[in-house]
Amino acid sequence: MIEVGALGTVLAQPFMQRALIGGLLTGALGGLLGSFAVLRQLSFFSDALGHSALLGISLGILLGLNPTLVLIPFAVGFALLVNLLVERSRLPTDALLNIVYSTSLAFAVVALSLVKSYRGGIQQLLFGDILGISWLDLGVIGALLLGALVYLALSLRAQVLLTLNGDLAGAFGVQGLVHRLSFIVLLAVVVAVSIKAVGVLLISAFVVIPACAGRLLSRRFSIYVTTSAVLGGGCAVIGLLSSGITNLPSGPCVVIVQFAGFLLALLISQFRPWSPAVVGPADRRTPDASPSARR
Amino acid sequence: MKAEPVLRVEGLTVRRDGMLAVDGVSFELPSESDTALVGPNGAGKSTLVAALLGLLPHQGGTVQILGQRLGPLGQLPRSVRAQIAYVPQALSLQGQFPLSVAEFVGFGFDPPGPTLPWRGGERRRQAVRRSLVRTGCGDLGDRLLSELSGGQLKRVLLSFCVVRPRRLLVLDEAEAGLDAPSAAQFQLLLLELRRQEGWTVLHVSHDLDMVRRSCNQVLCLNRRLCCSGSPDHALSPSRLSELYGPNMVPYRHHHERSGSLHD
Repeated sequence: MIEVGALGTVLAQPFMQRALIGGLLTGALGGLLGSFAVLRQLSFFSDALGHSALLGISLGILLGLNPTLVLIPFAVGFALLVNLLVERSRLPTDALLNIVYSTSLAFAVVALSLVKSYRGGIQQLLFGDILGISWLDLGVIGALLLGALVYLALSLRAQVLLTLNGDLAGAFGVQGLVHRLSFIVLLAVVVAVSIKAVGVLLISAFVVIPACAGRLLSRRFSIYVTTSAVLGGGCAVIGLLSSGITNLPSGPCVVIVQFAGFLLALLISQFRPWSPAVVGPADRRTPDASPSARR
Repeated sequence: MKAEPVLRVEGLTVRRDGMLAVDGVSFELPSESDTALVGPNGAGKSTLVAALLGLLPHQGGTVQILGQRLGPLGQLPRSVRAQIAYVPQALSLQGQFPLSVAEFVGFGFDPPGPTLPWRGGERRRQAVRRSLVRTGCGDLGDRLLSELSGGQLKRVLLSFCVVRPRRLLVLDEAEAGLDAPSAAQFQLLLLELRRQEGWTVLHVSHDLDMVRRSCNQVLCLNRRLCCSGSPDHALSPSRLSELYGPNMVPYRHHHERSGSLHD
């Protein structure tokens, strides 16, 4: 009964109530966007965005501005710049992202070393402070979740066709560049807004882990997107409650719960008839299959 | 009175990566015709198709689809865009892609433009079911797209095209990656659907045997349009040597009209 009592005490705290709502919204938002980001092979992009956000925050601190306000335009500008570099340089995307994010991290550390003291503390920047989330933050995250839902519902077909084949999407009238940039901007804004709660080091876990777990469990796209969002929100709530009861850091607790959820999904998928391990690759099942037909 | 061609191309010039890839190409696709675009690798076939679909900007000439002029940056009215279907060589389906065959085909149901994925309800479900049955994929609706064999995937791509009426079908080496029986099965299905739907078809193909058997017009491209006309005219040994080089030896299979190229 100690656990029930501890849980009651945790839930009675107003900051914990805000944190739970914040975790639910941020987790669902991460899972929702992550489901598209993972399919479009933008997982590493969200990681690079998270790390580079530290530079945006450092610039805000150096300039004496509210870091959160600086972070959104910084993240959007950074995302668009990286996208331009990827298109123009013709270097492998992962290598380029590695260059950009490690360099921006280096600049961020140099910038932070110039600041005598930062009220927020470096620990909070790295791992987030979801317990310090305000009602205003919740309003912003809620509005962003709503906006992302509307945009992704209206552009779902375009996003999927673009993932499958850019020419097929283009022939269908999908403006590939517009949708690519819109999605990247949305991802950048979500990362920037979630940094306060999740921290620069853990933000990509919020985007990638629930989506990968959802992918293992789903055979329909609508179910995949819903599962990813529900897993994202659910794991965040469970992680925060565990953190509240055990008095361990909240952000890392959420990520550990997400990882446990992923392992569970992996286990379940191995015993389901649709599992790739059970079904086997298509080219082993039918004579007309051809791996070269997949690009 | 002569019917308006579905596609009219005049003096089309396209640059790709700073290089002249298509140089002053002109041709027409009459309504319900079946045309093959052939030529060696690097001849500009895919570039030409991309420009016709408005995926690449063109630097000179004009393209008219169903009487509407394609803008230099690929702009086309939605009503015309809705009449175009395209079958690519392949889809990017890495790992277990969580998209069912029925969902994919359903994406083809609504005309271009922003739309909610669940719009259409029962009407959409019936159209998807019908199109899958017509392409011999009636039992594949619940399968994942990434679980399909190459031949099944190509048939599902045709279901995507047939789920809603269209006028122009463009195929980019659609038979690539298929073994001979699957390619033949695909061609038979395509022929049947073309007749039923009244499609005007443009294939990019390296399979000259198929081109001889199925198409009524051939366009030979090597940056410029080298020749065009009926398969017998455009694929004569002398013209093939001109197009592919002197080392290309055409041969015919034991049956009457077939032929292929080997180097």
